[in-house]
Amino acid sequence: MGGPLLQARGLTRRYGALEALAPLDIRIARGERIALTGPNGAGKTTLLTILAGVQAPSGGALEWDGGAAQPVGWVPQRPALYPRLTTRENLRLFAGLEGADDPAAAAEALIVRADLGEFADRRAGALSTGTTQRLNLAIALAGAPSLLLLDEPTGTLSPDQRVRLWGWMDDLVRADDMALVFSTQSMEEASRNADRVLVLGRGRLLHDGPAAALDEAGFMALLGDDA
Amino acid sequence: MRALRAGRLLFAKDLRVLGRSRGLLAVLIGYPIVIAILLAIALSGGDRRPSIAFVNLDTGAARTVQVGEERLSVDDYATRLEDDVDLVRLGPAQADEALADGRVSAVLTVPQGFIADLQSGLKPPVLKLATNPRSPIEAQAIERNLESAVFRLNQALATAYVTQVLNLVDLIQNGGTVGIFGRSGTLLGLEESGRNLAAVEKALRADGKPALAKKVAALRDYVGGVGGNLELAKPAAQAIASPIRLEVREGPPGREPLSALGIAGALVVGIGLVGVLLAAALLSAEREDHVLSRLGRGLAGPGTIIWQKALLAAVACTVVGYVLLGVVALTTSITIGRWLLWLPALLLAGLASGAFGLLIGALARETRTALLAGLMLALPLAVIALIPGNDIAYWASAFAGFGPAARIFQGLLVDPDVTSSTYVGMGILAVVALVYGVAARVALGRRMHA
Repeated sequence: MGGPLLQARGLTRRYGALEALAPLDIRIARGERIALTGPNGAGKTTLLTILAGVQAPSGGALEWDGGAAQPVGWVPQRPALYPRLTTRENLRLFAGLEGADDPAAAAEALIVRADLGEFADRRAGALSTGTTQRLNLAIALAGAPSLLLLDEPTGTLSPDQRVRLWGWMDDLVRADDMALVFSTQSMEEASRNADRVLVLGRGRLLHDGPAAALDEAGFMALLGDDA
Repeated sequence: MRALRAGRLLFAKDLRVLGRSRGLLAVLIGYPIVIAILLAIALSGGDRRPSIAFVNLDTGAARTVQVGEERLSVDDYATRLEDDVDLVRLGPAQADEALADGRVSAVLTVPQGFIADLQSGLKPPVLKLATNPRSPIEAQAIERNLESAVFRLNQALATAYVTQVLNLVDLIQNGGTVGIFGRSGTLLGLEESGRNLAAVEKALRADGKPALAKKVAALRDYVGGVGGNLELAKPAAQAIASPIRLEVREGPPGREPLSALGIAGALVVGIGLVGVLLAAALLSAEREDHVLSRLGRGLAGPGTIIWQKALLAAVACTVVGYVLLGVVALTTSITIGRWLLWLPALLLAGLASGAFGLLIGALARETRTALLAGLMLALPLAVIALIPGNDIAYWASAFAGFGPAARIFQGLLVDPDVTSSTYVGMGILAVVALVYGVAARVALGRRMHA
C-alpha cells in the first residue's frame, strides 16, 4: 500500500427525512483494496456514488491528497455503455469524453489491457455477461483513475468469471498503484479480495478493519437485527 | 470547450446509433413522414360537396314563370344549385329525419308560393335553409355555398329582368308587342307617336288652326323628350343588372390556400412528430443504457446533453422539412420559394418540438413510455394547430410550438410578402424551445444526480 489518497470527513446524505448516510469518516490509501459490505439499504451504493461524484453529499467533505481532486473510475452495478456501439466505439467515445488527446489510441490500449481484442468490433449488446462487465470496467479505466469504485461488480457473474475479474483487478492495483473500493453482499468475497473491510448498517459505519480480522460470525454479530 | 467537445462526441454517437437502429429510425422518421404525406393529401384534396335534402312545397298550378324569352321553374333552381351541392330530393318529414340522423348536412325548402312571388315581383321569393347545429363549421360552409349559388341565380334573374325592361323601353320607343310578368299587349311607340303628332300638327296648320297646332307641337316635343330620356335610362338599367362584376381567373392548379394548408399541415405534423419522438427517444435511451450516472460525473453535464440532442432533433426536422418541400416542388405544380428563409423556420420549429420531446424524455422512465407519451401529446397538438383562424387552437398548440410553426409555414407558402408576423412566430418558437430546454435540463439534472 502507498500513501494516503483520500480522506472523507463527516460525510452525510439525506433524502428528505431519511438519513441514508450518518456522519462518516473514512480514509483511502493508494494501492489499497477496500470492501464495502452490509445488508440492502445499508448505504453502500450511496457512499460509492458520493465518492464517484455522481451525487453530492448533504454534508461533510472529501479531501484529496495534494488538494486537487484526482481522476475516479466508476463502475455502476448495471453496465453503463451503449449496446448499439461496438466495444471499440464505446471505449473510443468514453476516452474522448474523458479528455484523451488521442481517443483512438487510448481505446486500443484499453482493449489490450482488458483482453477485449476478440470482441473489439462486436456490438456491446451482443457480448456475454462476463465480457460486458469487463468492457464496463475498461470504460471506467479510460480516465486513468487513481481511485476505482465498483458497485457489486460480480453480482451477475459466474464463479469462473468472478475469479478472472478479481485476478485482473489485482493486476490493475499492483500495476497502477490504484486504490480500489468495491461493494459486495458477500463476506467471503470481501475477505478474499480486500485488504480492509468497511461494514455499513443503516447508513452508519459499524466496522473498519483488516479483512482478516472479521469472519462470518463477527459480521453477523455486527449487524445484529439488521442481518 | 470541454462541453463543446462532449456535445460533439455525443452528437456523432447518436447519429451512429440511429443509423444502426433501422426499426427505431422507421418509427421516428418514417412514420411521421407517412402521416404528413397522408395529411397533405387529405387536406389538399378537392372540396367535399355537402349533401343537402331538397324539399319542394311549391307544387301548385303555377309551376313556371316567364322571364323574357326564358321560362323558369323550381326544377331549374334545383338544377343550378346542383353545381355546388349534392341535392337529395325528399319530402319534408323524410328531410327532417335525414338531417337529425346526419345523413344530410342541411335541408333546403322551397316554400309554397315561391313561383307566384317570383312571378308577381311584389315581394322577393324566399328559400328556407335548415342546418345541423351540431356541425357549426359544416353549416357555415353550406350557408356560404348556398349564398353564393343564390347570388348567382339572382344575378341571372336580374339580368333577364333588366333585359326584359330594356326590351320594354325599346317597345315604348319603337312600338311592338310586349309580354312581361304574364301580361301582354301592343304598343304604338314614342317614335311613331311623334311622327303621328307631327302629321296632326301639319294638318292643323293647313286647316288654319294654329292655336290647336301649337298645343299638338308641345305634345310632340314632350313625346320626343320622353324618348330621349328613356334612351339615357338604358345604361343605368344595365348597371342595375350587374352593379359589380367579379371576374374569376383560375390560377395555377394547387396554388389555392387549401393546398397551402395541406403542405403546412404536413410540415407541422411531420416536423412535430420527428422532433418530439426523436428527442424523447434519444434522451430516454441514455437512461435505459444506464450511462447517465457515468456521464453526470463531469464527462457531459445535463446542459450539454440537452443542447446536443435538441440540435440533432432540429437538424433532423430541417432535413425532413426540406425533403417534404422538395417532394412537393418536384411532383406538383406548386411553387415553393424562399428556400433560404425556410432554414430558420424549419430549424426553430425543430428546436421547439425537440425541446418539448426532451422534456418528455427526461421525465419518462423508459423509451417506450417516452415514445407513447410523445405521440399522445404531439399528435393532437399538431392537428389542433391546423384549425384555421382559431385563437384558442393556436395558443393551445403553441405549447409545443406547433401553432406558430403552422402560421409561419402557411405565410411562407402563400403570403406575397414576408410580414413581421413571420419573425414574431420565429421568436415565439425560440422562446418555446428555451423554456422546454431549461425544464428538460432541470429534470435531467435531477435524474443524473439522484
